[in-house]
Amino acid sequence: MTGRGQPGRLASGGLVDRSQTLGFRFDGNAMTGHPGDTLASALIANGVVLAGRSFKYHRPRGILTAGSEEPNALVELRTGPRREPNTKATTIELFDGLEARSQNRWPSLGFDVMSVASLLSPVFAAGFYYKTFMWPAGFWERVYEPLIRRAAGLGRASGQPDPDSYETAFAFCDVLVIGAGPTGLMAALTAARAGARVILCDEDFVFGGRLLAEQFTLDGISGADWAVSITAELAQNPGVTLMRRTTVFGAYDHGAFGALERVGDHLPVPAPHTPRQRLWRIVAKRTILAAGAIERHIVFGGNDRPGIMMASAVRACINRFAAAPARRLGVFANNDDGWKTVADCLRAGIAVEAVVDPRPVISETLRTLAAQAGARLFTGATVLDAFGTANGLQAVDIRTSSARIETVSVDGLALSGGWNPSIALTCHLGGRPVWRDDLAAFVAGGTPAGMAIAGAATGAFDLRSCLADGARSGAEAAEAAGFTARAVETPTATEETLGLMPLWSVPGARTKAFVDFQNDVTVKDIEIAEREGFRSVEHLKRYTTLGMATDQGKTANLNGLAIMAALTGRAIPETGTTTFRPPYTPVAIGAFAGHHRGKQFRPTRLTPSHDWAAEQGAPFVETGQWLRAQWFPKPGEADWLASVNREVRAVRSAVGVCDVSTLGKIDIQGVDAGALLDRVYINSFSTLPVGKVRYGAMLREDGIVMDDGTAARLADDHYVMSTTTVNAAKVMQHLEFCHQVLWPELDVQMVSVTEQWAQFSVAGPRARDTLRKLIDPATDISDAALPYMGVTGIVACGGISGRLFRISFSGELAYELAVPARYGDGVIRALVAAGAEYGIVPYGTEALGVMRIEKGHPAGNEINGTATASDLGLGRLMSRKKDFIGRIMAERPGLTDPGRPGLAGFMPVDQAVRLRAGAHFIGLGAPAAARNDEGYMTSVAFSPSLGHWIGLGLIRNGPARHGQRVRAYDPVRGGDIEVEICSPVFVDPEGARLRV
Amino acid sequence: MSEPTPMPRSPFARPLAALGPSEAGAGITVMARDGLALATVIGRKGKADDLAERVEALFGIALPAGPRRIAAGRIAFVGAGPGQWLAVADSSADPNALAIRLARDLAGFASVAEQSDSRAVIRLSGPCVRLVLAKGLPIDLHPRAFGPGDAALSAIAQIGVHLWQLDEAPTYEIAAPLSMAGSFADWLIAAGAEYGIARTGSHCEGST
Repeated sequence: MTGRGQPGRLASGGLVDRSQTLGFRFDGNAMTGHPGDTLASALIANGVVLAGRSFKYHRPRGILTAGSEEPNALVELRTGPRREPNTKATTIELFDGLEARSQNRWPSLGFDVMSVASLLSPVFAAGFYYKTFMWPAGFWERVYEPLIRRAAGLGRASGQPDPDSYETAFAFCDVLVIGAGPTGLMAALTAARAGARVILCDEDFVFGGRLLAEQFTLDGISGADWAVSITAELAQNPGVTLMRRTTVFGAYDHGAFGALERVGDHLPVPAPHTPRQRLWRIVAKRTILAAGAIERHIVFGGNDRPGIMMASAVRACINRFAAAPARRLGVFANNDDGWKTVADCLRAGIAVEAVVDPRPVISETLRTLAAQAGARLFTGATVLDAFGTANGLQAVDIRTSSARIETVSVDGLALSGGWNPSIALTCHLGGRPVWRDDLAAFVAGGTPAGMAIAGAATGAFDLRSCLADGARSGAEAAEAAGFTARAVETPTATEETLGLMPLWSVPGARTKAFVDFQNDVTVKDIEIAEREGFRSVEHLKRYTTLGMATDQGKTANLNGLAIMAALTGRAIPETGTTTFRPPYTPVAIGAFAGHHRGKQFRPTRLTPSHDWAAEQGAPFVETGQWLRAQWFPKPGEADWLASVNREVRAVRSAVGVCDVSTLGKIDIQGVDAGALLDRVYINSFSTLPVGKVRYGAMLREDGIVMDDGTAARLADDHYVMSTTTVNAAKVMQHLEFCHQVLWPELDVQMVSVTEQWAQFSVAGPRARDTLRKLIDPATDISDAALPYMGVTGIVACGGISGRLFRISFSGELAYELAVPARYGDGVIRALVAAGAEYGIVPYGTEALGVMRIEKGHPAGNEINGTATASDLGLGRLMSRKKDFIGRIMAERPGLTDPGRPGLAGFMPVDQAVRLRAGAHFIGLGAPAAARNDEGYMTSVAFSPSLGHWIGLGLIRNGPARHGQRVRAYDPVRGGDIEVEICSPVFVDPEGARLRV
Repeated sequence: MSEPTPMPRSPFARPLAALGPSEAGAGITVMARDGLALATVIGRKGKADDLAERVEALFGIALPAGPRRIAAGRIAFVGAGPGQWLAVADSSADPNALAIRLARDLAGFASVAEQSDSRAVIRLSGPCVRLVLAKGLPIDLHPRAFGPGDAALSAIAQIGVHLWQLDEAPTYEIAAPLSMAGSFADWLIAAGAEYGIARTGSHCEGST
């Protein structure tokens, strides 16, 4: 298959642009096509019949449809990191340089080693996973699954990062029209003329739907030309948004829809600054589902042979793409619509060898047509088996009305079993389809609020009905959205008849008869399921995998259901319904992620001193969304521990500065501000004097500690609360809940001011000396004027208004200086300059953590969602004079049991040994078993102050056991060491350093 | 005290540095609004009428009851929730002065919190501004749905934002948390690239 010829291209007609030639490769073979082609139509024009191999049996498969319901022609599109598996050749718009590869074959498409699976097919029948690989159990993961995965499956992912970008976007409209066939075009036109904001979506790259694929005449012009003229009018209307290449894949609550726009899929590489795909959330006041219908097949032996196509797809090939899928075609149709194929072949010069119609009686018009085409006519007949090779169809066996078998030589077969309304979107919010005997099809049982269905999607399959229905529904939707619609004249159009006689499956096939092509489910599989009791449609589906492929069984489900109905002697609606879940067609995860991948996975919050810290070479750690400086390495330091030890020693001996802006800050004002704080903290705040700060803890309703922090009283009716970094939003939410829901009578106003302030901890014996150089001398910050736990307003650096809190996390003389955040960068530089003469060091979160462990302050590792205030040594804070959230529940016996794990310190008996957080405590000599577990190590650090590792932990009856020894057992890292229980406060237990 | 007082640092200085100056053809133009003074004003319990009267008397502004922005002269009140507003003043002098003045003048009727440094505010305009915002903002900005004086609290790219429309051009201002200015700018630059995005300079002469 080389060279530039297009042996299957018709000489004239179609909607392809023959003036331009596009080169592409399929399995490495160079071919050509034209703008307007899909990959599928270009392959057909190039005489390619074999498109891929099937999922389970590696059967040769061709192209079945001309749309997104395609189960067979799945290919790997593009190469390298852009390689995308399982793309449907029928929906890939041809572009110059396109490269595609068939899937699931080795070593080549024509000769596939794994197709022996077809010979072993009895083994692979329904339920084979459940029956075959039961023993030994250990073999499943190591042997069976890898084997099956290699044999089955479809395309290969590239395994490399996707070089393209994706986007999400929001759109709003009065009327959303889904599908731009004749119905959708009329609906959009009517609604748009009424003045409504209209969005018209279609998954195809050209509007028109079946108008493009049939020989219709509307108002005296071709259907395709009519579609062009309507589209042109819509494009002129500023209230209309036309979205081609856009699949509405899901219906969600309140008129919201998910839609995928393939912005750059039809290009070799997306245009600069544009995404490959854009995921839209469309919110519509009214929606018209004009998604048309999907032609269904008839099951017979060998019905998956390449060369067998849906009749509608054959006509799309001929009329739209000017490509001949066969030279000698057979037609097998149980309805008049399928017969259109005969007329179109006649016009295009394609021989029709035979027309097989199971209906005993057909109209004279059809008989004449068959005669004109020179086709042998078989009425009351069926196609029983099809025969061929990987290179195409050779013949079909026809069972005639007199039950004789006649073999007719054909190289293509057009198949029509009727049409199924495309109602997937009506099911996404729980709608159940209902059966209509007159149509022999399921139609929507209801629609989501605001949605109407129109045209073929309702089962009104003929063009005249579609046009009228479109105009009517467009007017109704516009009126419902508040506009006045005028009647739009419906064009005169070709008359159509259907005359369907349902036929789902031809009994007596001698070769394998497929129901679900993509998942290789055969009639025999359904028979096995029935025999083994899997008769419910839900069981049938799961036992056989019917309808569970990426096409959701669009061409398979109803045939499968009908076969089960026949086997069980029930009617189709008694047997079950077929329903649909989003997405209508597969959507790449990248499209859902949009902008949010890599570093943009979620927003990053930078501290006010971030740029300065980066200049110092600090590594950063993620704490929630924040990036915080972890430590500040100096040249010559061997590792992080060396830097952290130096920082801790500097704070304990001189002075250090740390950005603590990430802590939550909530401004609380109002006459009842103190009352609110009394109710949310376990300790009292209404008694806190103005100018003072107090440490507080708050409980959840269930009595467990939620968060801790400080609150400062700035005025009688004004506090500022601090929370931990991680709980900032949660505490704000909690306070809002308490105020809005529990105690709306309180006169309290609160707002987060976390972002407003750059806050720096200045800690160490020389902290005051350092600050003295920056703080306006009018403010006395001596120990007498601003003692431990005091707060005052200050002016810093000659004009920056801020606040100075004398609070300490490190246990040293310490302050937190708060200045407006935009000044944070300048103030950190000023602090470091001012402290230089005292040996100031910046310190990061690691040193912060070491010092809080040395001081025994509980933090996130200890406030772990199971610890009570008493467990953490905060029991004495719990006020007995007032009520507070969590008080009652904290008194439950289980929470007051003295044997509960309580906070304690831990030291290794051998001081050279490192401690590990997460190690469990077990009594000396007791076996390392869960029943002997006494608690676990929550936090560890190397203490440069003590010269060995120290830890905090929660151990049964901890506070009463200082001096005892236990095992710290760490099976994850192979640790098992002896530790001594001690006070959790390792440094300055009297707190003397705080008050100097 | 000999060191000069540090200058405030614009949160957008670095994130938007890569953008070129405004040029013809840009679909969206952006301007960092660094000199704005911001304050949260929350009415005290039972004082809604007193507060409304006081604000009307002081500024000639009828406090909006919903998501609206009402401006008079250089000050505006933007609805920020029931009984809650963001006061926005165009003053490059001392941003802190707004909160101090409001706290004094509205004492007893409202609680006022200084927020000038809590938000990074950016002004957006240009022929494609609605198309760009549609890539992040789940709000209908069609003129029939959202016009000058309308405001909204919403989220763009997972970042909480407060947005208001200034005129019919249209021109919007968006306030995002200061710490997320970089991530917000990353989204804006990515979303705007398709239409051409440019800077129209910074409002604040003091920014670095």
